[in-house]
Amino acid sequence: MNATIVVNGAVERFTFESGDMLADVLRAAGYVEVKKGCDTGNCGACTVLVDGKPILSCSFLAARADGRAVTTVLGVEEEARRFASFLAAEGADQCGFCAPGFALTVIALSRELPEATEEEAREYLKGNLCRCSGYEGQNRAIMRYLEACNAR
Amino acid sequence: MVIDRLVVPADPDEALELIREKRGVPLGGGLWLRMSGKRIGLAVDLSALGLEYIRDSGDSIEIGAMTSFREMEISGLLDERFGGLFSRVVGGVVGLQFRNMVTAGGTVAGKYAFAGLNAALLALGAKVVLAGEGERDFAAFLAESGTKPFLLEKIALPPRAAAGYSSLAITKGDFSILVAAAAFAGGTWRVAVGARPGAAMLSESAAAALGGQARPGAKAIEAAASAAATELTFSGDMRASSEYRREICPVLVRRALEEAIA
Repeated sequence: MNATIVVNGAVERFTFESGDMLADVLRAAGYVEVKKGCDTGNCGACTVLVDGKPILSCSFLAARADGRAVTTVLGVEEEARRFASFLAAEGADQCGFCAPGFALTVIALSRELPEATEEEAREYLKGNLCRCSGYEGQNRAIMRYLEACNAR
Repeated sequence: MVIDRLVVPADPDEALELIREKRGVPLGGGLWLRMSGKRIGLAVDLSALGLEYIRDSGDSIEIGAMTSFREMEISGLLDERFGGLFSRVVGGVVGLQFRNMVTAGGTVAGKYAFAGLNAALLALGAKVVLAGEGERDFAAFLAESGTKPFLLEKIALPPRAAAGYSSLAITKGDFSILVAAAAFAGGTWRVAVGARPGAAMLSESAAAALGGQARPGAKAIEAAASAAATELTFSGDMRASSEYRREICPVLVRRALEEAIA
């Protein structure tokens, strides 16, 4: 099958097998910033944005991305770097494997619910697992990042 | 899941023909199917059929089969008509990315027993609309074990209802040990219990105990709650025993009813 996908703003033509998932197709094309964790649609490591909405690329048929805009963490590099500085300031970054998917979901949160309460932020991020930490540092980083975004 | 061939029809008639005549497997969100490890000769992607909507048709509220859980969760129309029921029922499912992908139709057509959504739809007295076949009562549809291929087009709900929902899970986002939903619509109460762990079922005796009153008293609620636990059957699985489920059933039914009348 073929699909034309706008990845991080650039139109690209992909060729793949019918049942291939977006994460595999993107990684094979060099977008290795897309991580595969559980590969069962639970951990959130493979999160990318499709037309601005966070989805699990390990379980999203590549064919369904045809004609749509896909954003990996490198497509929002400036925001991701900014968020990463908050994450580092709270000592919340450890192995970093979950970070690309995590950062994308936080960025989606900052756009959809810029005034999110901590409870809302926790709910929004529930689908992003981190197996290194206890989430408290991440929570502080998210809330401070949202505050900083809103103060701008 | 292995897919040999995937087609994305833009015409409902073509989709129906592929499903009926070519044994095509309709794809909703595809999340559950993917975990099955099945080999699918012909997959029919329903995402180009324009089945993503939540709308007021005048005499019912319609949810298109390809509407995502997230859309139901944040829908102002569903919130207004059913008092936040949908955001509570589907809002706790796994994570946000997952809910952006899983569909109302996948859960309904798959008759997933673990799904709180199916219990809630039963309580609301939902109808399912199958392409080329017309409207069917969701309770009858859910109880059938037929394998005749079909294409679910949409789910039709009453224009509004007083509704409540209660569930219990070991951790947030996990499959529920038990769910209960209750709704008062068109002068009738419906009480549904799901994740028994079998498919959601209506409790006729609970509805009878509540009668036709919009605001049943504490006694009627207690009677309905214990009637549901007596009438329905429960089984054990890795999450809870049948005894445990029977024990918590009246508690969840009571909470759902109290929420519905609040």
